[in-house]
Amino acid sequence: MDLTMVLTRNPDAAYRIYDGQATVVLPDQAEVNVINPIGSLVWDRLDGTRTLGDILTLIVEEFDVTPEQARADLFAFVDSLREHRMVR
Amino acid sequence: MIGSTAEVRAAATGDFLPGDDYFAAPRDAFGSGAITMAVGPLRFRLEGLSRLQAERLCGRFAPFVEAGEGIADLAIALRRAGVVSFLRLPSGSEPETYRLGSRAARGRLALWSYEFAGWVEPAARRAMLAVVEEDGPLFERGLENFLRIMTASFILEHGGFLFHASGVVRGGRAYVFFGPSGAGKTTVTHLSKPIGAPGENRGGHVVGAGDTVLSDDLTLVIRRGDRYEACGIPFGLAHHRVPETGGSFPIASFNRLVQSRRVARERIDGARAVAEVASCLPFVMQETRQAERALQAVARALESIPVHRLEFRKDDGFWDVVEER
Repeated sequence: MDLTMVLTRNPDAAYRIYDGQATVVLPDQAEVNVINPIGSLVWDRLDGTRTLGDILTLIVEEFDVTPEQARADLFAFVDSLREHRMVR
Repeated sequence: MIGSTAEVRAAATGDFLPGDDYFAAPRDAFGSGAITMAVGPLRFRLEGLSRLQAERLCGRFAPFVEAGEGIADLAIALRRAGVVSFLRLPSGSEPETYRLGSRAARGRLALWSYEFAGWVEPAARRAMLAVVEEDGPLFERGLENFLRIMTASFILEHGGFLFHASGVVRGGRAYVFFGPSGAGKTTVTHLSKPIGAPGENRGGHVVGAGDTVLSDDLTLVIRRGDRYEACGIPFGLAHHRVPETGGSFPIASFNRLVQSRRVARERIDGARAVAEVASCLPFVMQETRQAERALQAVARALESIPVHRLEFRKDDGFWDVVEER
């Protein structure tokens, strides 16, 4: 994984941002997931146009976190989303 | 000659999967009878019933049967299935979750389970339901399962949702208790007996005529403008009771049941509350657009309905923390 990657939310996922947190439903898995605020920022912007680098910049601007830590957390989170087939 | 494609599939799995050819074939009605059922704001017109079926349904679902034809949200033509079963019925000792097959194409959704197969065309507000038997448990299950699915789907158009929850009315307000199977939904209805003679004073609180159970399994959440009300639905299958009333009542709270040794209530807010409720919506989370509409309906409802995590014991002490006075 690298910062030039462009990923897209699974188009089958239904979601809604509520008070800064995303509630995500994956119909084929019958699961309802809640994503924390920083994860929700990432989720909402995995729209097939932004690179992970673009999203990393937004995280560092919005949250009190170092670029190094934000990058590690972003990669771990995206890995988790891919594992659960929530992004492509 | 082996038979149709569907019959070949059935031979391999024990299931009979109705294809387009099955639904295209003409099927006999049970009779010429019809009744209209009113469930909250929804009106279902059941057509093609035998006189006996119509009489029995009117008796069983009396609080929900409406006189006159009116305008229905959905007209359902009942037909003889012409087969013994669709999905193979599990044996008594065979553990299995409820199986429901579906296929959507060209504005029509086809559905099938053990004892029924049918289709619905939401835009045309019409449906066909083929049931394997004319009478008895398989007829009742087939009809009620289909109507539950239709209720869950069509109530979204009205901004409401069908909730896997029990509902009890106390003091004119509905308290809704939800959670997965085994959480205690039926238990709280058994613990919600009539609480005293009307007007009786208990600890400074004048009690009403008693509790009214709306449902011990499925509660319909209805939107009326900016307010929300709850009512029971009669399609709860044999082991659940038909609600005591077809009326709807303002909702006081949603309560996520957690069995415990103590009684305590904690407010749940935001996305977690939406997720807790959304995870208990039957039938509507298997398709993306419908799931989005359901999430939207839940989020809107929770702007005015408080959600609590309710730890409770198997006695009526939970009412002390739940009841809004």
